[in-house]
Amino acid sequence: MTMVFDPATPAGQTVALLPEVVLSVATLAVLLVISFRHDGPGASRRAGWLSLASLGLTAVALLWLSFNVPEDTGIGQMIALDGFRFVGSALILLVTAGSVLASLGYLEREQLVAPEYYVLMLLATIGMLFMVNAQDLIVLFLGLETMSVAVYVLAGYDRRSAFSAEAALKYFLMGAFASGFLLYGIALVYGAAGSSNLVFAGAQFAQGSLSTMARLGLGLLVIGFGFKVAAVPFQMWAPDVYDGAPTPVSGFMATAVKTAAFVALARVLYTSFSGSVVEWQPVVFGLAVATMVLGNLVALVQKSLKRMLAYSSVAHAGYLLAAIWPGSAVGVSAMTFYLLGYGLTTIAAFALLGALGRGGERELTLADVGGLAETRPWMSFAFAVCLLSLLGFPGTIGFIGKWYIISAIVASGHPLLAVLLVITSIVSAGYYMPVIMAMYMRPARAPLAYHDRGLAGTARVAVAFSVVLILALGVWPVQLLELADGAAASLAQTASQATGGQ
Amino acid sequence: MSDFLTSIGYGQWILNTLILLPLIGILPIALLPAARARQVALAVTCLELVLSLGLWWAFDPATTAMQFSVTAPWLGAWGISYTLGLDGLSLFMVLLTTLIMPLAVLSSFKYIEQRERLYYGLLLALLTGMLGVFLALDMFLFYVMWEVMLIPMYFIIGIWGGKNRLYAAIKFFIYTMAGSLLMLVAIIVMMFQVWKHTGTPSFAYEQFLAVAPQLGGLAPWLFLAFAIAFAIKVPIFPFHTWLPDAHVEAPTAGSVILASILLKMGTYGFLRFAVPFFPEVALSPAVTSIVVALAVIGIVYGALVAMVQPDIKKLVAYSSVSHLGFVMLGIWAATLQSVQGALMIMIGHGLSTGALFLLIGMLYERRHTRQIADFGGLARVIPVFSLILVVTSLASIGLPGLNGFIGEFLVLVGSFGRYPWATGIAATGVIFAAAYMLWALQRILFNKLDKPENEHLADLTPRELVVVLPLVAGMIWLGLYPRPVLDRMDAAAKNYLHLVQPGLERGSASTTAAAPEARP
Repeated sequence: MTMVFDPATPAGQTVALLPEVVLSVATLAVLLVISFRHDGPGASRRAGWLSLASLGLTAVALLWLSFNVPEDTGIGQMIALDGFRFVGSALILLVTAGSVLASLGYLEREQLVAPEYYVLMLLATIGMLFMVNAQDLIVLFLGLETMSVAVYVLAGYDRRSAFSAEAALKYFLMGAFASGFLLYGIALVYGAAGSSNLVFAGAQFAQGSLSTMARLGLGLLVIGFGFKVAAVPFQMWAPDVYDGAPTPVSGFMATAVKTAAFVALARVLYTSFSGSVVEWQPVVFGLAVATMVLGNLVALVQKSLKRMLAYSSVAHAGYLLAAIWPGSAVGVSAMTFYLLGYGLTTIAAFALLGALGRGGERELTLADVGGLAETRPWMSFAFAVCLLSLLGFPGTIGFIGKWYIISAIVASGHPLLAVLLVITSIVSAGYYMPVIMAMYMRPARAPLAYHDRGLAGTARVAVAFSVVLILALGVWPVQLLELADGAAASLAQTASQATGGQ
Repeated sequence: MSDFLTSIGYGQWILNTLILLPLIGILPIALLPAARARQVALAVTCLELVLSLGLWWAFDPATTAMQFSVTAPWLGAWGISYTLGLDGLSLFMVLLTTLIMPLAVLSSFKYIEQRERLYYGLLLALLTGMLGVFLALDMFLFYVMWEVMLIPMYFIIGIWGGKNRLYAAIKFFIYTMAGSLLMLVAIIVMMFQVWKHTGTPSFAYEQFLAVAPQLGGLAPWLFLAFAIAFAIKVPIFPFHTWLPDAHVEAPTAGSVILASILLKMGTYGFLRFAVPFFPEVALSPAVTSIVVALAVIGIVYGALVAMVQPDIKKLVAYSSVSHLGFVMLGIWAATLQSVQGALMIMIGHGLSTGALFLLIGMLYERRHTRQIADFGGLARVIPVFSLILVVTSLASIGLPGLNGFIGEFLVLVGSFGRYPWATGIAATGVIFAAAYMLWALQRILFNKLDKPENEHLADLTPRELVVVLPLVAGMIWLGLYPRPVLDRMDAAAKNYLHLVQPGLERGSASTTAAAPEARP
């Protein structure tokens, strides 16, 4: 391949950030447009469509970049140019597009029309793209903060709702707390390695065992990320925040934010600490087990469907941690694939939830979806497919994802975590199946709760797209598995630069 | 016949067609008006039956190899393929499935009145899943089919079932899923062992079989994972508690499919996977004594509990626990007679219990009750129904000349040499079976015709006769002339014995070696 650009030069660095640059410019353009046309649902809708277009442009830039990466990207750039970044970015763009589609009708119905909503979503996405591409702890932190600040605002977007305000405040306080941990961790790692660059730090840590300072830094980093992905015991903010935020925002947080945090966490662990797997494995093991067990058990007793989905997303963070645990390339591959399956499913599930309820969907319970299959067969079918995919039932992408995680764990030679994973999955049948049961087997409650309206047009597109993919990829995931494998292999290659290239 | 079959290339396309045809049939059901759904379902299941009948002639009874195999790559990088094949073990399970399904569809015509499209679509999906379980020779495919089959059954029980259907449906689902997820982990662990030993990943059945003897300390754990999954499905006492609920609450067709086919998946799993993979664990003295004890407990307990049931459907459900205990005993005795007997019971129980549930369903459609106490003297009102019920019950009891006898006799004869005590106790199950069945018949068909509601019941309609007569014919045929069936399963039974030989040798060696030490 010809050398299209040289990442070592400033101009090359800009090209290496092309998707981020495109999205930033597009976001500013959207901001300009809405400052002129601000009132009414029309302006909000326009902002939504412009945001979708911006995401599309970014995707094109990402695609171009991924095909024009120079063979020799140099060692220790601040910005990664590997397949792992591209796949992670693509995932984030995909679920963000899904969230925008789900928001379009929802905001009008809930009378939350203000076009800034979409700008905030785009700003958060820029932050996430930086988290995913960061090969330097400082870039990572900047990305994380950009994302977080935008999402704090989004969580409290429903100003009339006290719960939304509570969600925003809680998320902000906890998030700030977590950022503190993360920043402290970064400082200690920098102190121990003499560099904030992940590759150089990795080269440093590959020599001998970790110093106490590095170990402390690693621990604080894991805690910081633990907050962001809502791993137990750092999950206590998540249910209230997911519950209080407007539903499309909950979906956005459960998918995009989690994806960005997991990709960044995997990159840090695999690049900087690939030589000290034994140091972090027990910690990740404990977090994964606690998260799977608590997330699933507490989801079991939830009455509100939204809270149930919130706890279920905590449980899924546990499965993803279990994928990271083996410290192998196949583990990263499994995590990447699972993130896609989980993202598609969760976006659709929250979009459906948003269509079923009213006023933030906090009150929506099992009884409210009773008999839904009679009046809304397609919505019920879509919801059932989503729940089965979350459960990991064969025929859906969720099953392939879980199978892949189990394979990654078993490949490491210690199947204990896999056994714990399937046992907690059995528990999850106890809260996913009753929803299907209510929709198909219980009579409708009179008076029909909100059955008058179905999915708005755009949300319908997002849900239909997701459901088709959930089923199709559940049967034929070959190409996507290869894509995930390639992404994981490229991360492993970057990591070997650190340990081998010293 | 077999020349004709060869000339149309039967062996190359039959298994794919059997698996895919029901799925294709779902399409017209979804598109056509709801009233047409039953006709499409009947046409598809009848076509499946006709097509599968060719297997009877095309099947080569002399070989133990898998026949009619087809394979296609699926997730190649992980050694996962879509591989189907058939031997003497699966042949009869496939034929039983394709025979029962059109009858199940036909029996639903009157019973199912709402959401017909969904119902018949689920039945067809279930058909694909069940055939897939019996035909899959790739462990990943097997697992997928094993699980996929749960969903249609869950909906059939949960939507069209009786009063307590929601509880029964979720219990059925969670029990079965809980068992099978651990099996998934075991399958994946074994795949990595295959990978380690051969250098290539593979989920192929033969590869699993080849690597299984080299597993060492892993084997007991893997066996446990497989065994729990299958034991719940069989069900072996004490995992049986889902069965009465599911059988009683399911609509007639659901009960028929559960009893005739789904239960056999458990015993099929033991015969095909759990025991041949790990014969040294499965037939070790400790495991053997546990399984044989549970099988005998199941036989006696099932029969005793059946005796006191006031609900006739529950009676038949518990009788299944008893019959399947014989199958487990036969599998673990591992002699030629006992294994053939176990297979014969699997077929015979499918016919007779299927027919019993169908007949109970017909009675329920007329009287809307299943309490034995609500009947009495029916033989005078509906003689044809009564005659068929008597024949079916006698077949279920094991009267010589009908199917039940051959299987139970072979199991008892084959097992006596190995487990005389257990077999002796199991034989009482046959007596108890006569007791609960004949007593129930007496209270339903004979006694006094003392309930006015029963005086004007209509006898079987032609449609209902078409539903039960094939099963009755099958029972009589198997009872009088089982030779062709035994011939076709002979090679498979011998192959099973060959596969479990290491376990038998080790088991007998350790008992003889342990005996002198045990003395003080």
